[in-house]
Amino acid sequence: MNLLNRWCAVLGLVMAWLCVVPQAGAHDAVKEASKPAATSQHRHQRPQLATGAAIAPDGRLWVVGLNAQAQLFVQSTPLGAALQWSEARILNTGADPIAADGESRPKIAFGPQGWAVISYTMPLAKPYTGFIRMLRSSDGGQTFSAPFTVHQDRQEITHRFDSVAFDAQGVLHTLWVDKRDQPPKGSAQKYAGAAIYRNESKDGGQTFGPDTKLADHSCECCRIGLARNPQGQLQATWRHVFEGSIRDHAFASVSAPANRITRSTHDGWHINACPHHGPGLALNAGGHPTGYHTVWFGIRKVNGQDQAAVRYARLNAQGEPLPETLRVLPDARAEHADVLADGPNVAVVWRSSEGAVTSLKVWLSTDGGQNFNLKTLGQTTGYNDHPRLAQSGARMVVVWRNTQETQVHELRF
Amino acid sequence: MNSVFKFTALTICSAALGLSASVVWAQTHQHAHPHGEAKATSKRTVLPFDEKTWVHALQHGPRPAAYLFTTSYCSTCPAAFAVLHKAVQQRKDKPELNAVMIDVTGPQALRHAAHFKGMTHMYAFDGFEPAIRQAVDPAWPNVTPYVVLVDAKGQTQRVIGPPPPLMLKRWLAPS
Repeated sequence: MNLLNRWCAVLGLVMAWLCVVPQAGAHDAVKEASKPAATSQHRHQRPQLATGAAIAPDGRLWVVGLNAQAQLFVQSTPLGAALQWSEARILNTGADPIAADGESRPKIAFGPQGWAVISYTMPLAKPYTGFIRMLRSSDGGQTFSAPFTVHQDRQEITHRFDSVAFDAQGVLHTLWVDKRDQPPKGSAQKYAGAAIYRNESKDGGQTFGPDTKLADHSCECCRIGLARNPQGQLQATWRHVFEGSIRDHAFASVSAPANRITRSTHDGWHINACPHHGPGLALNAGGHPTGYHTVWFGIRKVNGQDQAAVRYARLNAQGEPLPETLRVLPDARAEHADVLADGPNVAVVWRSSEGAVTSLKVWLSTDGGQNFNLKTLGQTTGYNDHPRLAQSGARMVVVWRNTQETQVHELRF
Repeated sequence: MNSVFKFTALTICSAALGLSASVVWAQTHQHAHPHGEAKATSKRTVLPFDEKTWVHALQHGPRPAAYLFTTSYCSTCPAAFAVLHKAVQQRKDKPELNAVMIDVTGPQALRHAAHFKGMTHMYAFDGFEPAIRQAVDPAWPNVTPYVVLVDAKGQTQRVIGPPPPLMLKRWLAPS
């Protein structure tokens, strides 16, 4: 065995040397090649910065993401005057590859009885496929289980863009985009988009109920927005493929029978494409009527011209839009907006890039979304994540990660 | 001691194999010939695409040509590329059909090459995505597939989603 080890070490060193010594042939070929203006090799590897954030029952802010070695880590800090981040703790995720880019990010959610869960999409070998994986904790995040697959369906197909949340009764809901209803390849049948599937766990992620369908014909690559209704039940919104290949948004109570949906936006965007730009949803508890705040990206015809924009509107309790509340965010470059609310206080947060510089912006309202004030919270150059929102009662924070730091902005109204 | 040595040996082996694989990819990559024939596809190479690439492609690139900007999660993109492929299938001049991955590079990008039948070159964004995207089109809102058709005169047509027949006809009209 010792001999084998030594042989392996020597072989490794030789291979490493062969790899780093430039090869004359390759060098000549580069000089001779007719290249575009760019260099012939990628200078940048896109960092996996997508991060989840949540406020624990004890008021600490937690974040979950990938480090530079693509390891899943959690970190927490008390909120208040000065942040005091705990040491990043690497979690055991076995050999799972983890999606942590754009709309597909690891997420963390806290429930009752010390329950906490972390979920993420594990891409599979075949493109566009994945499994929703989860780690659970029953001690408030001090320790986490090994990862497990949340859904019962184990086909190598799309199960991606997970969203997780506990309802007011402590039931854990997991929703995801799922392609199990696609007709077989070569079939004459057509199926627009994907589907939204979900399941429930009443014991903090120890056991799960069956996979059930919430809706057919969702968009394939956008996040799902979740919010509680006044009774604490979860409501969902997602980009949907309506009749005629119209990609607007649907709204449903997550416990509703399949396909009992309400159309919550009316951009009329006729497109067969992937916006990768899902909606945000927050309860409008003090509104008349009580309903929801929502933000979304879409393209609609305005005076005969396509107008791409992130828009804000309020919905009634059934998820129908209140047309008079529709507003375009005051930023033509607004991307990946999300919304939080507590009573009359409403915050719409987004990022906005101009070349290499990205700004973090917020629209604040203290009258339930009637009027907003625009503020810039931060700025960075180069790679950065979408803004992530976390809330505990009246306390709202924006978490924004770049390659150098994780900014935390507590919102003051 | 033995376990320490074993661990070290295995670590060195793993690192060497990983490095070897990445360098093999990089060298293949260096050999890529952006203005070559469609053979590039069979070589399975991916070329970097940064803020300057687009200007260069429009000024000095082949005409007619098509560029389909896509992502690793864009399941609607292969169908749009198939529309381009079908449009040029009967033509003798074989306009270039290029796919540009926005969100992944290297082997991760190449995993998607099989989805783009008839692809001449595969590119991948090399740098901060919004900055490169805005260099291509300041009004492009990061929706894929985003298709740019460059005709024989160098005029461009842009569309989100599969290009409609009239656009394809204009693209391939003789100069």
